[in-house]
Amino acid sequence: MTISRRRFLHHTAAGSAVLSMPTFLQACGHGTQQRVVTGAPAGANVFAEWFGIGQEDVKAGLAALTRHGADQAELYFQHRRTSSIVFQDGIVARASTNIDQGVGLRCVVGDQTGYAFTEELTRDAMEAAAHTAASIARGSAVVAPEELRRQELAGQHYRVEVPWRDVGIDRKLPILRRAAAMARRRDPAISKVELWWNDVDERVMIADMHGRLVLDERPMARLYVNVTAEKDGQRNSNTANIAARRGIEWIGDEELEQVTRQAVERTMVLFEAGRPPAGEMPVVLASGPSGILLHEAIGHGMEADFNRKGTSIYAEMIGEKVAEDFVTIVDDGTLAHERGALNVDDEGNPGQRTVLGEGGQLRSYMHDAISARHYGVAPTGSGRRQSFRHVVMPRMRCTFMEDGPHSREEIIAAVGNGILAETFTNGQVQIGAGDYTFYIKNGWLIEGGRLTRPIKDINIIGNGPETLRRITMAADDGRLDTGGWTCGKNGQTVPVSQGIPTVLVSQLTVGGENA
Amino acid sequence: MPEGLEDLRARAAEAVELATRAGAQDAWGTASKERSVEVEYRDDILEKVQESTTRGLSLRLWVDGRYSTHRTTDLRPASLRSFIPEAVALTRALEEDRFRHITPPELYAERPTDALDLVSGAVQRVTPEQRIDWCQEMVEAARAHERIISATVGVSTREGMFAAASSNGFSGDRESTSVWCGGEVTLRGEGERRPEGYHWAGSTHLEEVPGRAAIGARALAQAARRLGSTKGPTARTTMVVEPRAAGHLLRRLIGPANAGSFSQERSFFLGKLGEAVASDELTLIDDPLMARGFASRHFDGEGIRSRRLPLVEAGVLRNIYVDTYHGRKIDMAPTTGSRSNLSVPGGTKDLAELLADAERGILVTSWLGGNADTTTGDFSFGLRGHLIENGEAGAPVGEMNVTGNLLTLFSQLVAVGNDPWPYSTVRAPTLVFEDVQFSGAAA
Repeated sequence: MTISRRRFLHHTAAGSAVLSMPTFLQACGHGTQQRVVTGAPAGANVFAEWFGIGQEDVKAGLAALTRHGADQAELYFQHRRTSSIVFQDGIVARASTNIDQGVGLRCVVGDQTGYAFTEELTRDAMEAAAHTAASIARGSAVVAPEELRRQELAGQHYRVEVPWRDVGIDRKLPILRRAAAMARRRDPAISKVELWWNDVDERVMIADMHGRLVLDERPMARLYVNVTAEKDGQRNSNTANIAARRGIEWIGDEELEQVTRQAVERTMVLFEAGRPPAGEMPVVLASGPSGILLHEAIGHGMEADFNRKGTSIYAEMIGEKVAEDFVTIVDDGTLAHERGALNVDDEGNPGQRTVLGEGGQLRSYMHDAISARHYGVAPTGSGRRQSFRHVVMPRMRCTFMEDGPHSREEIIAAVGNGILAETFTNGQVQIGAGDYTFYIKNGWLIEGGRLTRPIKDINIIGNGPETLRRITMAADDGRLDTGGWTCGKNGQTVPVSQGIPTVLVSQLTVGGENA
Repeated sequence: MPEGLEDLRARAAEAVELATRAGAQDAWGTASKERSVEVEYRDDILEKVQESTTRGLSLRLWVDGRYSTHRTTDLRPASLRSFIPEAVALTRALEEDRFRHITPPELYAERPTDALDLVSGAVQRVTPEQRIDWCQEMVEAARAHERIISATVGVSTREGMFAAASSNGFSGDRESTSVWCGGEVTLRGEGERRPEGYHWAGSTHLEEVPGRAAIGARALAQAARRLGSTKGPTARTTMVVEPRAAGHLLRRLIGPANAGSFSQERSFFLGKLGEAVASDELTLIDDPLMARGFASRHFDGEGIRSRRLPLVEAGVLRNIYVDTYHGRKIDMAPTTGSRSNLSVPGGTKDLAELLADAERGILVTSWLGGNADTTTGDFSFGLRGHLIENGEAGAPVGEMNVTGNLLTLFSQLVAVGNDPWPYSTVRAPTLVFEDVQFSGAAA
């Protein structure tokens, strides 16, 4: 259980991996579409191949799980193999592998959830866990399915050529050596380069009380570059990272050049950077990483669990006009190879595109099955969990804003005096009060409609609905951030991505220093 | 028969044995097990019951001058018999690292034997009925407000144990319990706002947790004190930080005080050992031997014997956290690789007295976002709190940031309280800083 229930977003600082090219929203494909084939009998061997169990074991677990009734019940099997490397002072300082597997058993009655998990994939252990989870229910048994029927994926958004489990460390080391050398070459002031790599192979199998069986393989990779530079007795460090649901074929020199260039440039500019004045001012958010604004200012507040409980500031705002006509905000699980992409969510519902707001009007929350039933709508494929040890909640996937009618130059010129925000490290929101923050690592001061000097290390604080009303301009340069983000909520973290065109928020409170 | 420490000791020793047989010169195995139960109530319904036992095995390997770490929850003997040799083989594919060695026995010999008192039988005996009763007591108190929208409360308990063994003779184990009670409350505020507050109280021992009704009432009070909050001012003034919020600043300060950050030159403490890094009001002690502390221990993750470690004494940086690896890299003797409990001695007044002394300024009750650069110390944090008016907490304010540099900020520390927050590994008291930059509404 978490101590603070506040929601946060951050670049995970623990192990990491890979790269992506700047992805423009317009260019985002939707993966290889496959026909939906429903009701094919589950191949006998998938249970054995993936989890070393039999179909009968799964059915026994389901029967035990629904013995006192259920509106919804499922077994969530997961096998995750993570490989991490810390590369320090020119060599591997630490290489790690982590194998995590188990099954989570959930029994839902109305808004109530009984949950248990076991790492031991035996019929006895599953039945024992099922009995614990079933204790939430007080009704009569549901008839368990006679046969589990495999649902084909509606889309495949992250196929890779070679699964990470088949990629030896000997293929990763040259990549890390190259990246470290590139970073060092960029500037003689660079004194330290540290790289964090991780790659993940994940297999998920969901078997529910209706006999539906869904399988998904989810790759993930990330490379995180930390750089320290020393100049005139001063030190500065900064980071850059790239992440995606990709395989090793994705990482070439172009990607390594991009991420190391970003890390070095973001570090070197800090030597010239200062703080802006403190107080309220216009804030221009540069395209791409500034999608953090959407995540904090509106995204969390549109997750339906907070709304069905009445604890979100957006709880009574669906259908209301909350922003200018050009503001359209989408949360999408179908963008190919994005860190937030999902073929299926963690309840077995197809990944999809959910329009949160369109034409400035709020349209839809993000739902898991519990909230969808509460509101009498279809699930939006947003039910996610950190692992088999965790219950499902509605979560964001890849959140972005569509292009607006202005240009970046027009926006900066229109500002007068304010700041431009370019890179970020983290953000946070209070769902009820609507207050949110994000931390600007790099940016620029705008004076007289022109960028004048670099700024650094300031927190921005605003209120969600107020900010939406204050998005007065948006450019036509939307793109997704190539860095990987991790979102935390109620003690659970999940990978997400985000993007935005250059936008102007006419007034926000900027941390800064006055003389 | 549930698994006990004996089983974990055997599993750790067996893993070390398998690793050395597969060719590792040295190996360090840790077998762990944790049982946890969580019950959550929202308003008048039982919303969630979760109960689980998790087990794991971690292994650190030294093979031909190379090093790697591994962890698995697949403990089937057949799985381990392939996992461990594969891990050894993977290690061989790495480069030699002359700084990596297994913890030398002299660092883990003569471990302290102080009674840490980390296991509470009362926590182990909590019944399902008690959990429900406590939730109902908390939720009733938490909902006692005319503006209530929703209250969610919970009780969680945990029983954990682990045993470690190494190829060079280390053997150790630890067992602990914990219990947490608390929740969060949302009220209907002005306009579209729904202010929220939370309070959680926890301990290794059940009797240290206050009455359930008092916890619920405190969560409600945290939300109620936000009603009518307005945007705070842009100003340079005194900042008083409540104990519950003060731990955040101490964590940020101590974050880069370790050999890893020194070796990668990402610490604003680099080159400052023995120098003043804060005003003389600040003394910070890492105290692994505190009875009933959440992070109390006789040895750390590398087996290094525990001792009280002064980090900062009267403002002077005395020690940092030094693990064996980064210690060798930067030529510093190991202290301990990670933080345990942090205590801040020396305060003589509580929050109310310190507010009275301050007369005016901003009282910080919680943080929202923000970050700090570990290399330079530059920081900026969002916050909520109250104006200090006539020496007392006055009108609630929010939507503000505080911005500066951690070393400068702690040089402006003028008082610490005698009121440490008990529900954390950081026992932070009230902290008072002068001349701090806040940004909020236009002046």
